[in-house]
Amino acid sequence: NSLAEKFKTKEIKPEDFDEIGNDFLLELVENDVAYSVAEEIINTLKNTIIGKRVPKNSDIKESIKEALVDFIKKNIPEPDLDIIEAIKNKQAKEKKPFIIIFMGINGVGKTTSIAKLANYIKKNGMTPLIVAADTFRAGSQEQLQVHADRLGVPIIRAKYNSDPASIAFDGIAYAEKKNIPVVLIDTAGRMHVDRDLINELKKIIDVVGYDLRLLVIDALSGNDSVEQAIAYEKNVGYEGFFLTKSDADTKGGVALSISVETKKPIYFLGTGQNYDDIVPFNKEWLIKTLLGEK
Amino acid sequence: MSNIFSGIKEAIKKFLSSTSPYEQSVEEFIRELQRILIKSDVNVKVVFEFTSKIRKRALEEKPPQGVSRRDWFIKIVYEELISLLGGEEELNVLPKKKPYVIMLVGVQGSGKTTTAAKLAWYYKNRGYRVGLIAADTFRAGAYEQLKQLAEKVGVEFWGDKGLNDPAEISRKGLEYHLSKKAEIIIIDTAGRHGYGEESKLIDEMKAIADAVKPDEVILVLDASIGQKAYDLAKKFHEATPIGSIIITKLDGTAKGGGAISAIAATGAKVKFVGTGEKVDEIEPFRPKNFASRILGMGDIEAILERV
Ligand SMILES: Nc1nc2c(ncn2[C@@H]2O[C@H](COP(=O)(O)OP(=O)(O)OP(=O)(O)O)[C@@H](O)[C@H]2O)c(=O)[nH]1
Ligand SMILES: Nc1nc2c(ncn2[C@@H]2O[C@H](COP(=O)(O)OP(=O)(O)OP(=O)(O)O)[C@@H](O)[C@H]2O)c(=O)[nH]1
Ligand SMILES: [Mg+2]
Ligand SMILES: [Mg+2]
Repeated sequence: NSLAEKFKTKEIKPEDFDEIGNDFLLELVENDVAYSVAEEIINTLKNTIIGKRVPKNSDIKESIKEALVDFIKKNIPEPDLDIIEAIKNKQAKEKKPFIIIFMGINGVGKTTSIAKLANYIKKNGMTPLIVAADTFRAGSQEQLQVHADRLGVPIIRAKYNSDPASIAFDGIAYAEKKNIPVVLIDTAGRMHVDRDLINELKKIIDVVGYDLRLLVIDALSGNDSVEQAIAYEKNVGYEGFFLTKSDADTKGGVALSISVETKKPIYFLGTGQNYDDIVPFNKEWLIKTLLGEK
Repeated sequence: MSNIFSGIKEAIKKFLSSTSPYEQSVEEFIRELQRILIKSDVNVKVVFEFTSKIRKRALEEKPPQGVSRRDWFIKIVYEELISLLGGEEELNVLPKKKPYVIMLVGVQGSGKTTTAAKLAWYYKNRGYRVGLIAADTFRAGAYEQLKQLAEKVGVEFWGDKGLNDPAEISRKGLEYHLSKKAEIIIIDTAGRHGYGEESKLIDEMKAIADAVKPDEVILVLDASIGQKAYDLAKKFHEATPIGSIIITKLDGTAKGGGAISAIAATGAKVKFVGTGEKVDEIEPFRPKNFASRILGMGDIEAILERV
């Protein structure tokens, strides 16, 4: 604030920002931040940066990066419940199973993520029940059976083409009878724009209720991640995300997109095809992945 | 949702009626085009190469007699987009020889197993004897998935749950189907991306290809894939040269621009598209339809006819 200080610093002007801002936008987009979200973020960063005083020889790009880190710290949600605690709490209070429903478009990794979460829960000292409510896709029942066998957890299976809501219902009833603390319900993959299948999913949820609905999103996806997140929010509803395949050299762009767009937390990251490849999400991971060294 | 993509129609209108200097209008148009392509998930570098080609032609070429420079430019854009998609011609999707061995490769969950069944359905209905081979030894239930699909389609299936070497399975499966006089043999392989710890899975893919010497390796690509499509396709192509591409899940909202990146990375063309989960939901690729999808307008030719 002294004159000397003023001499050593410069004010960031809009014209300083624009070109670098545009480059930065492209960088975000190259890391699979959805275009619309990247634009929104750049505008927000622009407003926080313009008018700031920085050392004369400093790189504006660094200021933008810092502003992005701040932005992530302030705006990216983290889960407000610890799943393990939540399961225990529900058991203690209600003696009822904690119900987790997985949903998402085709092939994103729902079934595999259920197996991983089952493993995670087991490692935390509880045994979950898996319900194979995908009665549509070829091999889906056998797929989940293999996982259940390998993990040593109980499974409720269904006949192909039978009503998924009724099998989910049976699953919950079974868990209540056997005092199983948590039920993981697998559902068939479905496009967010397929009205009939979305209604079928809603019916499953209506019939069994839920404690946590996780939308599974593929970290390799591009702009469509946001379309999926918005449409599932509007047409079904969910509490948070399970972000899969983040081991595929992805740069966190999808994580940023879906969190900024929906303000819903990511619960877990899928980081490989094995049961242990599951990591609770935190912002530091996102900052590190997206900005490298930071 | 689609309104954010309707930009191109507006952009063309604006370009044709603008009173700004030609060069400036070209620049504005190109910017809009870049946005549209990037929003469709075309790789950013591919987009910039593409638009600099357009810019060059727009500034250097003289339109033929009687055609205005602006009309000519729109034609250049369309031509270049179609050529980016591998040309106007639809591919001949029938096998060039018999027997014909196809190996499907791709990232986890991209739709390989389903597409194997769809191809079997497609060719069976065109009079071919088709055989399927289950060479995914990793994914739980992969064997049952393909077996159930083969039964649904009504084609021969080969797999052996006792074996865990996909190359050996493929070799034996090939022998089996040849003994059954199969004309088209389709090998379903495990999903892989090949980064980090998965690099050994790329070797596995090579070993399968070495064992069966496929006539064609097809890359199965999810329409929703983002920027990584380019790098991934290149990686696959370097391991087992990609002969063609199939885009799946076009029944969702993804534009499928990743396919353009994959074409650019491999030089391969798109052969089929998948438009649903059922075995009959497969169609030969139509470059013009796809161009309209990317550009977000119903009928690109109607606009071009006026030009
Ligand atoms: N590399 C990697 N692969 C994963 C991950 N999560 C799932 N996969 C793989 O993705 C593929 C699809 O996984 P599934 O669990 O069957 O996906 P899904 O969403 O249940 O599929 P549908 O039920 O058919 O809609 C499988 O090959 C999994 O092994 C992950 O975090 N990393
Ligand atoms: N909506 C839609 N779903 C599709 C299409 N093609 C495949 N699927 C679905 O996508 C999911 C994954 O398909 P798979 O055939 O199992 O994929 P994959 O590549 O074999 O998966 P991995 O073997 O695990 O790598 C399944 O739910 C399929 O039904 C399509 O064109 N549209
Ligand atoms: Mg599944
Ligand atoms: Mg498969």
